[in-house]
Amino acid sequence: MKPRRAEYSSVVAHPVLRAGVAVGLALGAASVLFWASGADPLAAYRVMFGYGFLNPSGLVASLHRAIYLALCTSAFIVPLRAGLWNVGLPGQVYAGALAAYAVPFVLGLHRTLSGQPGFAVPLLMAVAAAVAGAFLGGLVGFLRARMQVNEILVTMMLNSALFWIVSDFIKEGGPFMSATAEGESFTLPDPLRPALWAGLPPTALGAVGVALVVDFVFSRTAAGYRVRAFGLNPRAARYAGIDPVRVSLGVFAVGGALAGLAGYHYFAAVPGLYKIPTNYGYYGDLSFYGIICGLIARGSAMGALPMALLFAGMSLGGRFAQGALRLPFGVDYAILGLLMTTFVATHLLDRARLPLRPRSTRLAQPGKTRAEGTL
Amino acid sequence: MTELLLRSLEASTVFLLAALGELISQRSGVLNVGLEGLMLFGGTAAFILTQATHSYLAGVGVALAAGAFLGLLHGFFSVTLRGDQVVSGMGLWILSFGLTTYLGSPHTGPLGIQRLPPVLGLSPFVAVALALVLGCWLLLFRTAAGLAIRSVGENPAAAAASGVDVRAVRYLCVVAGGALAGLGGAAYTLSYNPVWNYNFLMGWGFVSLALVFFSMWNPWLLLGGSVLFGVMWQLSLNPELVLPGVLSRYVWRAIPFVTTIAILALISTQWFRTRWGLAKPEALGLPHAPE
Amino acid sequence: MADGNGTTRRTHPNAKDRPVVLAARGITKRFPGVVALAGVDLDVREGEVHAVLGQNGAGKTTLMNILFGLVQPDEGEVYVRGQRVRFRSPHDALARGIGMVHQTRRLVAAHTVLENVLLGHPGARGLVDFAAARRQVAALCERYGVRVDLNARVWQLSEGEKQWVEILKALHAGARLLILDEPTSALTPPEVEALLRAVRALVSEHGVTVLLVTHKLPLVRAVAHTITVLRAGSVAARLDAGQASDAELVRHMVGQEVAPVALEGAAGQSGPVVLEVEDLWAYGDKGTWALRGVSFEVRAGEVLGVAGVSGNGQEELAQVLAGLRPAASGRVRFEGRDITHRPPLDRWRMGMGYVPADRNGVASVAPFTLVENTGLNYHFDRELCRRGLLDYRRLEELTRRILATFQVRAPHPYAQAQQLSGGNLQKLVVGRVLSRRPRLLVAHLPTQGLDVEATAFVRAQLLEARAQGAAVLLLSEDLEEVLSLSDRVATLYEGRMVSVLPREAVDVRIVGALMAGGRAQGVAP
Repeated sequence: MKPRRAEYSSVVAHPVLRAGVAVGLALGAASVLFWASGADPLAAYRVMFGYGFLNPSGLVASLHRAIYLALCTSAFIVPLRAGLWNVGLPGQVYAGALAAYAVPFVLGLHRTLSGQPGFAVPLLMAVAAAVAGAFLGGLVGFLRARMQVNEILVTMMLNSALFWIVSDFIKEGGPFMSATAEGESFTLPDPLRPALWAGLPPTALGAVGVALVVDFVFSRTAAGYRVRAFGLNPRAARYAGIDPVRVSLGVFAVGGALAGLAGYHYFAAVPGLYKIPTNYGYYGDLSFYGIICGLIARGSAMGALPMALLFAGMSLGGRFAQGALRLPFGVDYAILGLLMTTFVATHLLDRARLPLRPRSTRLAQPGKTRAEGTL
Repeated sequence: MTELLLRSLEASTVFLLAALGELISQRSGVLNVGLEGLMLFGGTAAFILTQATHSYLAGVGVALAAGAFLGLLHGFFSVTLRGDQVVSGMGLWILSFGLTTYLGSPHTGPLGIQRLPPVLGLSPFVAVALALVLGCWLLLFRTAAGLAIRSVGENPAAAAASGVDVRAVRYLCVVAGGALAGLGGAAYTLSYNPVWNYNFLMGWGFVSLALVFFSMWNPWLLLGGSVLFGVMWQLSLNPELVLPGVLSRYVWRAIPFVTTIAILALISTQWFRTRWGLAKPEALGLPHAPE
Repeated sequence: MADGNGTTRRTHPNAKDRPVVLAARGITKRFPGVVALAGVDLDVREGEVHAVLGQNGAGKTTLMNILFGLVQPDEGEVYVRGQRVRFRSPHDALARGIGMVHQTRRLVAAHTVLENVLLGHPGARGLVDFAAARRQVAALCERYGVRVDLNARVWQLSEGEKQWVEILKALHAGARLLILDEPTSALTPPEVEALLRAVRALVSEHGVTVLLVTHKLPLVRAVAHTITVLRAGSVAARLDAGQASDAELVRHMVGQEVAPVALEGAAGQSGPVVLEVEDLWAYGDKGTWALRGVSFEVRAGEVLGVAGVSGNGQEELAQVLAGLRPAASGRVRFEGRDITHRPPLDRWRMGMGYVPADRNGVASVAPFTLVENTGLNYHFDRELCRRGLLDYRRLEELTRRILATFQVRAPHPYAQAQQLSGGNLQKLVVGRVLSRRPRLLVAHLPTQGLDVEATAFVRAQLLEARAQGAAVLLLSEDLEEVLSLSDRVATLYEGRMVSVLPREAVDVRIVGALMAGGRAQGVAP
């Protein structure tokens, strides 16, 4: 396929620069916060990046988190390409986690004591997580497609609802409550944990594969074309015979499935956890990094992969730096917020520049921003 | 039971103040989905300053200012730069979610000063909110300025052709709306539940946003909706008062959110739309390019 | 302009001694890539109907927007009664007694007539006493003989009534000079008649000055005293209405001869019935009936022209035929097969083509490349879509062919659709649809807003499709277009198809009356 110039200029060249600017500005703003909290910003960054990327155990944890963020990013990107906002990542992550834990619970395997890490049950758990996420996302897609219900409101409501449903399952006598500690789920016994390869679960391969497939679908297939057309102009898509219900339902089901898979990954496939912990809400909040990843990568799932790793390391290192330098709680949250702001700023400043670009073939229309006349 | 009702009214006030701000902003055609963020910022700023100065007035002032400032930012993005209002709104929400967590965490815990003196057994915020509903209704439906605001939200080109400064109207509305959202946050942290915790709202702002859609953009219906939701909210916190022993308390907490989705679906049906659909400001979320 | 109120003028106000109330000197306005106005002078004398005549794109509307303060000129001055003014907004213009009725309605559809009239009124501050305002506006209606329900919502009104609301609004704001921009474009012939009567009355009985902006010669002939002809942003001529002949005016307007496109040869070579519509009913967006039992058929090799004023069901008819709007009852058959409830995609696959009226909003995706836009009509085509993959290379070849065949001026196939001018975009849309060689073509307002050259090209393409044996359904508001292209002519009024007449039996006046809901007299249905 020949290079499509319009796409090149808008998806590859600019975003790298813009992403760099956004991240740089966010870090710059964060150093003001560190400084205000009485810490040396340079020292803070040294600790942050040192732990997130150079410390061996930190790096592995960063990779685990990057897989999670990459899946969340894809889960956000797929509906975004159809012009829909999937801010329901936390809810879908929770749904995935609950469904994954339901598998051993229903099969009565959660009391198994020993054995080798296997494949069959973990695979079943992953599938269950994806199906649950797809179901929850599909509900949003259905409401959006059939009744034009605002998807942002519905997904946010589902986030809050699912948050409490998870508590219902793991706390105060809920079915998944652990026998020992209050407020967390049972721990997965060994046979229910997926085998690791170089310290990474199979979901690592899954995250990269998903990103590849997502980009391929959007650039080469008819289905991807239909979603893009719908995202940019739903009325034109209808004219072209593209079924809006199928598109909305489809992208939200896929997005939900990927977020559900992300939930499976973090709560059931990452060494050191293998349970739904008391602070599961924190993992839900982390999924919002997926929104920023997707926005900064301008809808390119592969382009988002390095970003996911960067943000994973930064959020993890930020937490570590917080303890090491006695910074206030929530360094990772602050960076999240700053990244979002600098993204919006760079995005909109770029937009604001648009009218100044020469438009050779465009005829004048009264009502356009005044710019240099050519005649 | 009386106490439950009083608490419900205080909860309603939080919804009402924020939603009223959003209503004004939306009537002028600017959608701010970052309402929860504005409330978080207003609430956190009010909490910190009140704790430091022991002055509720200072807290309320800073909440208004913080909300207005974020509203101004949203106005700059959506009115001047004519960007996507959803992008900007989500940005404001995540910004506030992240920053308030960092800035507020050293203050985690109760406010620790004497509570506001009640007016007729209720927080003074309740009286303020009720007065604002009346004021908002008068403004929108009984003044020339209100006519201009509504027209800008319906058809900015028509308003501009009638000599209305569309940008100025939208800026004023989005800033005033932001200030009210900040006040809503302050009503939460200073009066309804004066204990700071990270992400203390947990969806209140988004429920308020939904309430605006339920209200048909009418302040009186908004008042009704807020009271209903306030009652439902308090009941979901104390389910044993109505149905002791039915469902776990966590499932009850999820119910207001599920109800919101159900109502959203109901008002989005074709049946409802063809009858009441005209209430929605026609130009909501659309930037206006001056001629 | 507070004076001029008491005296009644019945004499022909063409005399040169009347004071100039509004003057423009050397108005120049540039937009990116084009000069909309180049040094335009204009003198409007009190109590006259001054017509500004010109084709689309001649700069008429830009000039009026400048005189009304909506647009600032790059150079030049505006004088009101000899005094230099700078209008920064319509408020300033209204304060000087200048009101404007725009071509596209500038009314808030969801608000009442009264609210619309009051909006932006210079005197309205703070609390508004709506009861008093209602009495005031009602008195104004009385004075000018306007009959309109002040409590009605604007969306419930007819186009003619909406125009009255705009005029009322300008008068209520104190306008003594009314700018009417293409006032008849959405009106039925009887509504046009009523408007002309009203304009004459405003001028002669109430001393109002009218600046009439139009491209329609008959309109100018009917009411104007003085004519300024604009061509390509400059004044081509200034004439007294009495002096100028039609031919002369056209020559000034166009500057060159344009060969009209018209159907050649008689009808009668048409083939089998391709589209058959039977008692079709459908709802409009507001939940009211938009189509009330429409029946007709179109045969292969013929053009059925449907003339109708907007809002009478044309849009809905096109959408129902395209499968974009559900039919409430009735039948639509394509080549004998019932397609009433088939989704759009099935229809395109079967061999239907549709050129929608809104080329920007419906027929193209603005940020998409031209290649991707071609995909809108081909993403389901077996030739280009194999095993789920879309063959972008063949889509590009196809796009190049369409660009060449349909004379689309575009830098390259990877330009974005939003970079094309309206005419080129429309040629591309028509080209995309016709390149599939549809056996039925539904074209809705195919030449709306196009320049002369593009209009001629698109019309020629419709006739070419007919010559190739396609059945063509042309839905248009342009009576002249319908009459020059159609084998048979029908009219749509308030959702009913009034009658279908063979071309030979068609008379402009009869069709014009039918568009307005009248009855055909002396013509067998």
